[in-house]
Amino acid sequence: MSEALSAPLAGRGAPAVPHPGPPMIGMAGVTKTFKRRDGGTHLALDTIDLDVAPGEFVSILGPSGCGKSTLLYIVGGFVAPSGGKVTVSGDPVTGPGPDRGPVFQEFALFPWKTVLGNVAYGLREGGLSRRDAEARAGELIERVGLKGYERFYPQALSGGMKQRVAIARTLAYGPKILLMDEPFGALDAHTRIKLQNQLLELWERDRKTVLFVTHAVDEAVFLSDRVAVMSRQPGRIKEVVAIDLPRPRHRDELLLDRRYQRHVIDLERMIEDPPDLAS
Amino acid sequence: MRAVAGSLHGLVGLAPIAGLVLAWQVLLTAGWVPSALLPSPGAVLARTVASLGDPAFLGHLASTLYRLAAGFAIALAIVFALGLAGATSRIADAALRPVIRVLAPIPKIALYPALILSLGFDDAPKIILVAADALFPILLATYGGAGAVEQKLLWSARAAGTSRAGTILKVVLPATLPSILTGSRIALVVACIVVFLAEMITSTDGLGYLLVRSGRAFQTVDMFVPLLAISAVGLALDGALAAARRVLLRGFPEEE
Amino acid sequence: MSRAASRTGAALRPGLPPFLACLALLLAWQIAARFLAVGGVPDALSTFRELPAIIGDREALGEIAASLRRMGAGFGLALLFSVPLGLLMGRSRLVSALVNPLLMVGYPVPKAALMPLIMLWLGVGDAAKILVIVLGVSLPIIYHSRQGARAVEEKLLWSAAAMGMSGPARLARIVLPAALPEILVGCRTGIVLALITMITSEMIARQTGAGNILFNALDMAQYETVYAMILVVSALGIALDVLFERLRSGLTGWAEPIPSPAIAPA
Ligand SMILES: Nc1ncnc2c1ncn2[C@@H]1O[C@H](COP(=O)(O)OP(=O)(O)OP(=O)(O)O)[C@@H](O)[C@H]1O
Ligand SMILES: [Mg+2]
Repeated sequence: MSEALSAPLAGRGAPAVPHPGPPMIGMAGVTKTFKRRDGGTHLALDTIDLDVAPGEFVSILGPSGCGKSTLLYIVGGFVAPSGGKVTVSGDPVTGPGPDRGPVFQEFALFPWKTVLGNVAYGLREGGLSRRDAEARAGELIERVGLKGYERFYPQALSGGMKQRVAIARTLAYGPKILLMDEPFGALDAHTRIKLQNQLLELWERDRKTVLFVTHAVDEAVFLSDRVAVMSRQPGRIKEVVAIDLPRPRHRDELLLDRRYQRHVIDLERMIEDPPDLAS
Repeated sequence: MRAVAGSLHGLVGLAPIAGLVLAWQVLLTAGWVPSALLPSPGAVLARTVASLGDPAFLGHLASTLYRLAAGFAIALAIVFALGLAGATSRIADAALRPVIRVLAPIPKIALYPALILSLGFDDAPKIILVAADALFPILLATYGGAGAVEQKLLWSARAAGTSRAGTILKVVLPATLPSILTGSRIALVVACIVVFLAEMITSTDGLGYLLVRSGRAFQTVDMFVPLLAISAVGLALDGALAAARRVLLRGFPEEE
Repeated sequence: MSRAASRTGAALRPGLPPFLACLALLLAWQIAARFLAVGGVPDALSTFRELPAIIGDREALGEIAASLRRMGAGFGLALLFSVPLGLLMGRSRLVSALVNPLLMVGYPVPKAALMPLIMLWLGVGDAAKILVIVLGVSLPIIYHSRQGARAVEEKLLWSAAAMGMSGPARLARIVLPAALPEILVGCRTGIVLALITMITSEMIARQTGAGNILFNALDMAQYETVYAMILVVSALGIALDVLFERLRSGLTGWAEPIPSPAIAPA
C-alpha cells in the first residue's frame, strides 16, 4: 500500500466544473422516508446535496440498497421526496417531463411495440408525424448498432439489445438530461464494455448532462467527470470524487494509466469501509 | 420435419375422440344399452349433417348466436366503461372493487327467474344473463392485469411526454390486453353454457330449446344435435379469439 | 399519504368494503323496487321477511344442504383426477396432444344439459347429479393446471432431476406447488360452474335441491320466495368465494403480486 495510492485525490464536496447560472440538476437536502409494514419508518435517503453542471457526467456509486435508484426516481419526478428540493435549470421538479430521459435497469420496453415503435414513441408524443418519427427513430437505431432489427419485438431481443433500444428510445426525444439506473448491470462483461464505449461516444458528441447510477467502480471511473459515493442506512453521500482523466477516453489506454488505477483503488476502499458507527 | 411432427400431434388428438365414438358403438352393438336410450353415432352424425341444410334448425342456431353475441358485446362495453372509470378515478375504483368482489361469485343463473319476471320471456332476459355471466371473468382479469402493469412502463411513457390520462390509453390498455383476452376466453365458454341453459329453461327457440323439445318427444337422436352444435359454436368462437390474440399480441409470449 | 392510510385501514378490516358494498346493493334494490316500481319486483325488506320461512323450513334447509354436499363431492372427485391430468398435460406434449382436442370439444357443452341423458342411465339419484358436477368443474381445473404446469421454469425441473428426483416426484413436489396459483384460478372458475351446474341440473331433474325450490316457486308464482331463494343462493356463492379466497391466500401467499397503483406515480 504505497503512500501515493492511499492519498485521496479529492475531498468531500469537490466542486462541479465551474459554470455560470444555476446547475442543470440541483439536489438540496433531499430526504426520503418509506413507511414500513410494522408502522415504523425507514430513512432511505438522508439530506442529499448534489449539484450537476450542464454537460457533466456524474455517477452515483454505492452498495446495494443505499438508495441510488430512489434518488434517480426523485430527480426524474416519478417519486416525490419526503423533504428537500430538486431543481432542473433552477426550476423545481414537480413531475416527469421529456427534459429528463430515464433508462431503467429493467429496460421497461413496451412489449406490444416493435423496436421501431418503441424508439419512435417519444417522438410521436412530441407531435411528429409517423413518417418523420420513424425516420428519426431509424437513424437512432442505426446509431446504437441495431440496424435490421426495426421490426423485431422486444421479447425476441437479447438483454444487451434491449438495453440499447431503451437508450435509443430515451435519446430519441432529445432530453437535456439522461438518468441512467445501472443500465449495464444485467449484461455480460463483453457487452457491457461495448455499451460503455458507445455511451461515451454518444456523450462526447452531444454533451448531455448524465446522472448515472452504478455499483461498478471501474465503470464509474471510466465514464464520469465526478463520482458521488454513497453509504448505506441511511443513504448518504459520503464523498464526491472528481475524476481528472483526459477525454476522449480509451479503455485500453486508461487501464494502464496510474491515475485511473488510483481512482479505482481509492473508490473501492471507500465503498468497502465499514459503516460509519459514529453517525 | 417440424410440420410433420405438428400434424402428427394433431392427429394423435383425434384418437381419444375416435375411441369414445368406438366405445359408444360397441355398447350398442353388444346390446348393453338399448338403442332407444342411446342412438348410434352414425345416426347422430347423419342427423347433424341433415340439420345443417334445415332452415328451421339454422333459425334456432341463429337465435342462439344472436343472444350470445349481444350478451357478449354488452359485457365488453361494461368492462370498458368500468375499466376506464376505475383507471381514471381513485374514488370510482375504491367504490367499484368491493361491489365487483360481491357480485362476481353470485351464480347468475339463479337471477334468471327474476329476470324473466321483470323482462318477460323474450330475448332480453337471456341476453342480460349472458352479459352478466360473461362480464365478471373479463372484469376480474382486466382488474388483475391493470393492477400488475409494470410501473416503469408508465414512468417511461410519462417521461416521454405522455400525460397521466394519456397513459391509460397508451400504456395501461395495451399492457392489460393479454389479461382481457384471457378473461374473454373463459367468459366465452361460460356464455355458451348459460345461453344454452337459459334456452332450456324457458324458450321457444334456440339450441337449448331444441334439446328440451327433442327430450320431451323422446327423440334421443335429435337431443345430440344441439349439443354438437353448441360445442362447434364454442370451438369456432374460441378459434376466432385465438386468431385475434395472435394478431393483437404479437409482442407478447404465446399462451398456447 | 392518504393512500397509505387507507391501505392500513383496509388491512385492519379487510371485510369492511365488501360488507358496505352489500349494504349499498341492497339499498339500491330497495329504492329501485319502492320508487321505480320495476314490474313485479318485491322490495328488499319484504324479501328478507320471507327468508325465515326458507331457513326455518327443515325440509328446504335439508335440500339446500344436500345440494351443497353433492357439489362438494363432485368438486372433490373432479380435483382428484383433474389436477394430475392437467399437470401431466402441461409437462408432456404427447399427453397434451392426446387429450386436449377432447377437452376443447367438451368445454363449451353445458354439462347440465347432459342431465336428461345421464338420468336415463343412472336414474334420478345423487349419482347423476354428482357426475354432472364432476363433468362441469373438471375442465377448467384441467385447463388451468395445464397452463400452470407449462409455465414452470424448466431449470427448476432440471435441478430437481439432477438431485435424482424421479418423474412423478418432480410432478408432485416441483410442478404442483409452482402451478398452484394457476390451478386455483381454475378452481375458482370451477366453483362458478359448479354452482351453475348444480342449480340447473336440479332444475332439470326437478326432485330436490336449491334449484328445484327456486323454480318451483317461480312456477307457483310465489315471487317473494323466488327472490328470497335468489338471496340464499347468492349468499352461498359469496360465502364459497370468501372461503376459497382464504384458502388461496393461505396456500399461495408467496405468489401474491405486490399491489401497486396502476397509474398515479407516488
Ligand atoms: N417503494 C418502497 N417502499 C419501501 N421501501 C423502499 C421502496 N423503494 C425502496 N425502498 C427501500 O429504500 C432503500 C433504497 O432502495 P433503492 O432501490 O433506491 O436502492 P439501490 O441503491 O438502488 O439498490 P440496488 O443497487 O440494489 O438497486 C432500500 O432499503 C429499499 O428497501
Ligand atoms: Mg437500484
